[in-house]
Amino acid sequence: MSIESATGKAVAALLGLLGAAWLAAAPPEQTFRFVDAAAESGLTGLTLAGRPEKDHLLDSAGTGAAWLDFDRDGLLDIYIVNGWKLSGNQIVEKGPNRLYRNRGDGTFQDVTKRAGVADTEHWGSGVAVADYDDDGWDDILVTNFGPNVLYRNRGDGTFENRAAAAGIEAPGWNTGASFFDADGDSDLDLYIASYIEATLQDVLDAKRSLDWKGLDKVAFGPFGLEGALDRFFLSDGRGHFQEATESAGLRDRVRGFGFAVRAADFDEDGDFDLYIANDSDANYFYRNQGDGKFEEIALWNGSAFDANGAAQAGMGVAVGDATGDGLIDLFVTNFSEDVSTFYRALGDGFFEDATTWAGLSKPTWPSLSWGTAFADLDKDGDLELVIANGHIYPQVDRHPEYSMTYPQLNQLFENDSEGRFQERTGEAGPGFQVRLSSRGLAVADYDNDGDLDLLFTNLDAPPTLLRNDSPGGNWLTVVCEVPPGQGGLTGTRVRVEAGGKVLLRDIASSDSFLSRHDPRPHFGLGSAGRAEKVEVTWPDGSRTAMLDVAANQFLTVRKASDGPRPD
Amino acid sequence: MRSAWFFALILLAVIPGQTMSQMGAPAATPAELVATYENLADVILGAKASEKQLVLSILATTYGHAEAAYARTTAEMQAGMDVKPHIERLATFVSHLGNEGDASVAAVRKRLLEGGHHHNAEGERQGIYDPGFVVVTRSAKAVFLGAARNLGRLAGSPNAQQLREEWEKVKKEYQSLTQ
Repeated sequence: MSIESATGKAVAALLGLLGAAWLAAAPPEQTFRFVDAAAESGLTGLTLAGRPEKDHLLDSAGTGAAWLDFDRDGLLDIYIVNGWKLSGNQIVEKGPNRLYRNRGDGTFQDVTKRAGVADTEHWGSGVAVADYDDDGWDDILVTNFGPNVLYRNRGDGTFENRAAAAGIEAPGWNTGASFFDADGDSDLDLYIASYIEATLQDVLDAKRSLDWKGLDKVAFGPFGLEGALDRFFLSDGRGHFQEATESAGLRDRVRGFGFAVRAADFDEDGDFDLYIANDSDANYFYRNQGDGKFEEIALWNGSAFDANGAAQAGMGVAVGDATGDGLIDLFVTNFSEDVSTFYRALGDGFFEDATTWAGLSKPTWPSLSWGTAFADLDKDGDLELVIANGHIYPQVDRHPEYSMTYPQLNQLFENDSEGRFQERTGEAGPGFQVRLSSRGLAVADYDNDGDLDLLFTNLDAPPTLLRNDSPGGNWLTVVCEVPPGQGGLTGTRVRVEAGGKVLLRDIASSDSFLSRHDPRPHFGLGSAGRAEKVEVTWPDGSRTAMLDVAANQFLTVRKASDGPRPD
Repeated sequence: MRSAWFFALILLAVIPGQTMSQMGAPAATPAELVATYENLADVILGAKASEKQLVLSILATTYGHAEAAYARTTAEMQAGMDVKPHIERLATFVSHLGNEGDASVAAVRKRLLEGGHHHNAEGERQGIYDPGFVVVTRSAKAVFLGAARNLGRLAGSPNAQQLREEWEKVKKEYQSLTQ
């Protein structure tokens, strides 16, 4: 070998090494980027949450948020439920719920006062949105610690509380709620979960008495407290409801500590089933028998417990086809030092705990998790997973040896298209690097730019609005419309075939943790420039199909009028 | 409220004893109180034993129902009849074995837990039992619940061989738990 050639090879090798080093150092293309736009958007109202030390569970349970288009201008507005502020056993401030109208320029206007939806008389909990009276305008149900409030949308930008007249005030600690057509009569019935039996005096007088790891006293419960009964109300189709919990087979016999409620046709038999996440109790799966009567089958359909048969502290629920097999999977958030559980659907309404298989055991173990959602955040045709986190005991911050904090990072997991997830929180932009004690999570494309943004409620802090600035593929958003008097949108399912994939979504009145997502089903299409087929199955089972639909648009699909409903 | 009455009666019974001790009797717990406590201990320990017997009875009844449902399922399957409801009934009973009773029993168990009663406190600490469970261990629970789900799934497409296999798992676990 000559000196020249040896030198040449050495230089080439050095250049090769340098090149490899440069490649390794070059930042990878960022899949996700989320930026908190809450303050600049005008979402500045604090969500009040009891006392700073969280002496009672109500202090730390938090509240939900909803996306809705209350004025039907094509822009998604926000409703955020609020709690109260306490000092010792005194009520310091009764926080108003807030309705923010979307101006269409990335900002929101607080229209609470004009709309008449502040409800400062009650300590708020959750929210569900549906057109319960079928007049074409979305109404707002606020579940409360106290009587519920049902804001009927008058259609002129104002609302009236019809809860008492409708028969659904149901005082207690109400939490998750879901409107759905239980008996197939084309009107919306209502299930409301409840947490524990407690009076306001109990809350005001509460002392931290639960021993936490022998280190500190924290808020007592829910073990040792009496669970409150969930309730089911059957609609008469004229804006009134009758409690029918017992006759519908929905008696809460275990008095579960109920939180999230989600209605969907989980077993694909054409009617709506119910899933309820219970804190520290078995979750419920009520299978609709087809006649509005239900049977609780969670113990044998695989959705009551984790893989070890243990009851977990169910808080929130995400629903969607995460594995891309055409079946609706469930994800239930739980307490810290326990995993949040991914229930993979097996078909016909059966599930198996596939948390470890999905890669979610280890990353969900440390956090105390609440709101959650499956959403295609990078528009590649599969569903990412988002989780809102935050501890309930501020006292954990005094014990750093446990590597546990009261404020926590929310989490983002990327789907590999088959339902296995990789955590991307650290690479998801500045919006995901903020530690708060988050609770509600609601997903929507608020700026109508074709990607999904994330709204979190936070204890004792303003909300977080994570604008999605991620690059991504093509998309399609389906705007479903039903003429007034035809049963409304809730329960509508949309199926899109594109790029060799079949994508499923449904429209629900509530989701996540006491919250409600965008009612316009959003689909990431990846590189597909068109959807071969878009099929909408309306709540009454009728269908509307469209072929060869171009990507990157808001596609409006209207249900054909089927004449007035018989009395 | 009942316990308040109970202790009121005990106090009435021991008031004379207290009076005697104040008059210079030996510095010891009054014999009447000790005797009452002895009786109460019998009641407490007896109640715990009774609780186990009661839960075993609940399990035996549930197992009997499951056995009957299995027999009916296999008989009607051979006759070519629709056995879906029977298989689902069987799955339900097997899930109740895993849950140590149905929802009504679970409600009682929850009430006991709320009152601080753990039948197998040490077993719970060791991870052998779920909170409040008396007889069904965690491992047995997992077997029953797994079998219940498998049986439930068979309801849609009944298969005699698979049904028998699942039932044998249930039978074996139940026998090992109760012998």
